[in-house]
Amino acid sequence: MKTGIFICHCGHNIKHTVDVKKLSEYFKKFPNVTVSQDYVFVCSEPGQDMIKEAIEKEGLDRVIIASCTPSLHGEMFKDVLKKADLNPFLLRRVSIREHCSWVGDDIEANTEKAKRYILAGLYSSAHHVPLEEKIVEVEKSALIIGGGVSGLSAALFLSKMGMQVYLVEKEAELGGHVRALKNVWPSGRDGKSIVDEMVAELQSRNNVEIFTSTTIGGFEGFFGNYEVKLDTPEGQRKVIAGGAIIAIGFSPFDPSIKPELGYGYDKRVITTLEFEQNVDQLQLPENPRVAILHCVGSRDDQLGKPYCSRVCCVNALRVGDALKSRYKDSYVESFYMDVRAHPKGGEEFFEDTQEKGVLFTRANVAEITPTPTGVVVRGEDTLFGEIFERRFDLVVLSIGMSPPEDSKLIANLLKITLDKDQFFLEAHIKLRPFDTAVKGIFIAGSCSGPKDVEESINHGRASAVKLFGFLNLGYAYVDPFISWVDPKRCSGCRMCEQACVAKAIKYDEEKRIVRVEEAACMGCGLCNATCPSSAIILKGYIDRMIDDEISAFMEAI
Amino acid sequence: MTDEAKEKNPEIVGFACSYCTFKASEMAGSLRMKYPEGVKLIQVPCSSRVDPAFVIKAVFEGADGVFVAGCHPGDCHFIKGNYYTRRKIVALKEMFDAFSMKEKLRLFWVSAAEARRFIDKVTTFYNDIKEKKNEREKA
Amino acid sequence: MKGKKLKTGEIENALNRFLKDEQHLVLGFKKDESGVSHHIFKGSLDHYSLLNPVFGANAALYLRRLFSKGSQVMLMLRPCEIRACVELNKLTQIEREDIIAVSIDCPGTVSSKEKKEEVPAELHELNDYFKNKDSMRWACSVCGEKRAVVGDAGIRIDEKGNYWAIPYTEKGEVLLSLIDGEPEEVPAELLAAKEQKKDKFQVDMEIFNKDFEKCIMCMNCRDMCPVCYCIDCVFNGDEYLPKGDALLNKVFRIGSVKMPRGKDLFHFIRMYHVSQTCVGCGACEEACPQGIPLTKYFKGVSERLQDIFSYMSGRSFDEPIPYVTFLEDELKDATD
Repeated sequence: MKTGIFICHCGHNIKHTVDVKKLSEYFKKFPNVTVSQDYVFVCSEPGQDMIKEAIEKEGLDRVIIASCTPSLHGEMFKDVLKKADLNPFLLRRVSIREHCSWVGDDIEANTEKAKRYILAGLYSSAHHVPLEEKIVEVEKSALIIGGGVSGLSAALFLSKMGMQVYLVEKEAELGGHVRALKNVWPSGRDGKSIVDEMVAELQSRNNVEIFTSTTIGGFEGFFGNYEVKLDTPEGQRKVIAGGAIIAIGFSPFDPSIKPELGYGYDKRVITTLEFEQNVDQLQLPENPRVAILHCVGSRDDQLGKPYCSRVCCVNALRVGDALKSRYKDSYVESFYMDVRAHPKGGEEFFEDTQEKGVLFTRANVAEITPTPTGVVVRGEDTLFGEIFERRFDLVVLSIGMSPPEDSKLIANLLKITLDKDQFFLEAHIKLRPFDTAVKGIFIAGSCSGPKDVEESINHGRASAVKLFGFLNLGYAYVDPFISWVDPKRCSGCRMCEQACVAKAIKYDEEKRIVRVEEAACMGCGLCNATCPSSAIILKGYIDRMIDDEISAFMEAI
Repeated sequence: MTDEAKEKNPEIVGFACSYCTFKASEMAGSLRMKYPEGVKLIQVPCSSRVDPAFVIKAVFEGADGVFVAGCHPGDCHFIKGNYYTRRKIVALKEMFDAFSMKEKLRLFWVSAAEARRFIDKVTTFYNDIKEKKNEREKA
Repeated sequence: MKGKKLKTGEIENALNRFLKDEQHLVLGFKKDESGVSHHIFKGSLDHYSLLNPVFGANAALYLRRLFSKGSQVMLMLRPCEIRACVELNKLTQIEREDIIAVSIDCPGTVSSKEKKEEVPAELHELNDYFKNKDSMRWACSVCGEKRAVVGDAGIRIDEKGNYWAIPYTEKGEVLLSLIDGEPEEVPAELLAAKEQKKDKFQVDMEIFNKDFEKCIMCMNCRDMCPVCYCIDCVFNGDEYLPKGDALLNKVFRIGSVKMPRGKDLFHFIRMYHVSQTCVGCGACEEACPQGIPLTKYFKGVSERLQDIFSYMSGRSFDEPIPYVTFLEDELKDATD
């Protein structure tokens, strides 16, 4: 066996707390190691060339790359092996950055830890075998769940790129929350006109099918060929989608959960959404006194909503701005924690509003009590440390975004993960912000966390671009990490069959052993762990690999 | 690090599922959170891949502690895998208990987003084991 | 519950009636000059013995992967043997259609290793014999389930010494239909479960190491275990055994080390593998040439592990083995 070990400095990221030179020297003396080298950036082009050359020149049959975590640069390094005519599954990635250099400060301890990790990779890689990725055909169609602005923009893009689009909306009308907005910041456009424009364009296209008042009844299959059951008002429809984009938006926070805000039983306490819709019907005195409360349903640990909803500060500013434009001599006071007017032009808008005369008080509001003579707001001014009590004609609650009500349902159906706040979880917050952990399923818009209209449209488009890239190829590789039964060792006890969640194991009455239906196998390895004699094995994670990793960690080999 | 210090520092092997705990550990790394170097992870596709034999092997090869960590119940990427893990590991814990070494095995649920929880869980485990180990050595 | 009271010789009559069919067999005990042993009868019984006072092996061992192709075997065995058969049925090693499992009240047995003199095979003599507690096998002396309440039917003995045949399943009715007489109410004493106080098995590694010091890794315990059914055991390979070259690597890298003992791994992993299916029959201990008290460990551990899931190996044909099923809402304090 000829193993090549390539240890990455990752600039300073690994090198500063792991003695990479010592490691590359150490592994040189192992009998099965032909090349042991450290390099400043293994992922750079010269780095990739170095690996390719070493494989070709030395005839390496195992490659170990000790660098960042395996989920990064995975495909790229596989391609390096492919280019050098080596099966990509003879590659072993060892994480010495996320799991070593970044999590400890002691250089000696980290070097020792990295050594054991590489050792584990070395022993385990001896059991790697060439595996063939299966090629499956990909249906050039996309399911888009949610017909808000992000779903609409994703649908438009995919349709224009020639993909068949199935757009599913739970409500009777497309457009989501944006349809109800009167004045979308900063353009000032009517939300209805924005969505109507998009919907009209979509309806004119002949490769788009729109299902309103429709829910998802079932979602089966795998990337390239998802079988989707749609519960439409006309009955169930089945469609085949190559991939899916989830764009189910958000639920506006319901302030009645916090009774101290006095919301829900007095029409003088309203939300920003209600203010926007009914601004003409508000019966306010000539010079009204209005309080605006920030962060309602956001940054609130007690509610289990510790996140910032990102749109509500600008919404609060818009309310102040609208009031000052209507009633020049009004008294408008904004109670805030921090003003986060992050979008482009937001900071200027904040200053503008201040100039127009909106007062900003940094405060913790404890209680809002509607009384016949006005709405009383009690709280603490956190800059001056004073308790205050003021009377207003109107209180506007700048509500945040809560996760969509159906997030759990969709997550279960599509087998994807939610984050701690019940929004959908990105595969990687920075590197793969549109992907989910499931191949071919993307997220768009505020269902993965609060976003404003502009961001939602962009997010929708970006997810569509990513999905288009996958669909347009027309084929996909499937990970070969599925289970396999050794017919000579199987006792036919059917324990694995009973446990298998995917129902991928079938019993052969003739031979009295089991076999695996490859297309159905999810690759979890439950069967392997259930079989007492490990006669059924999960390729890529066989017992010997894991056993040797343990032994290497414990220096027992 | 002196040999003496090495001996006193526990070795912990953790089995982490690719979709939750391993992701959390990646995130913990990206956020530069620190945890003891004695904690080493083995990546498995799902916590249900963890054969109790692995745990037993790790213990008899000298691990002071072993943990199995996966997605929260109901959140398994493979839908139900972690419910089986729970049964198996609970049984194994009972077995370890019968041999008065219950403290060597732990089961955690850590989701992909819970980097902080991952750090808390492994650090507490490490410290508990270390305390016990040093106590025993003194005695 | 109804059953039939058995007249003297009636059980033999019933079995002989059963054996009239070409395809029918009876697995039970035969008594001849060399003693009592497992025997498979075809055609008719010959020197049949209902009880076997000596435990050599668990008969379920012989039934593994015995797929009878249309024949049917009436098993007339001890409760621990029937329980092992039930477990093997769940593991598809014995087909349900092929067997009628009849358990027989067990007065306890003598170890085949300690058999010094002639042991009586008749019930009343045996009961006298076992008045001396030390003459019973340890596994039997701690056995909590000697009553024939498992399988398709049971042969029970009431306080007056009457024998009863009691059916538990439809297949059990087959046995009953072969017996003369009308079914009548079974005496209450046979229905009452004995209250048992079980001490939780508890040892530590020091005791374990001492007990297993003598183990020579012959793996006889595995080979004779009725529920260790794998046709190719993981321990046939070298995954879990110490590797010579690996050991040398280690010595050269980190200096002198303690010799690894693969036997800890072997016994622990095997203990886990049989934890839900072990019936505590003690066949392993019977097979151990070194006299290691294996029953204490295997029975003790498996009872603790089965208790978690309110499971009892061999109690019922329908309960799934706990490791291949789950409830979403259970084991609330599983995590740390």
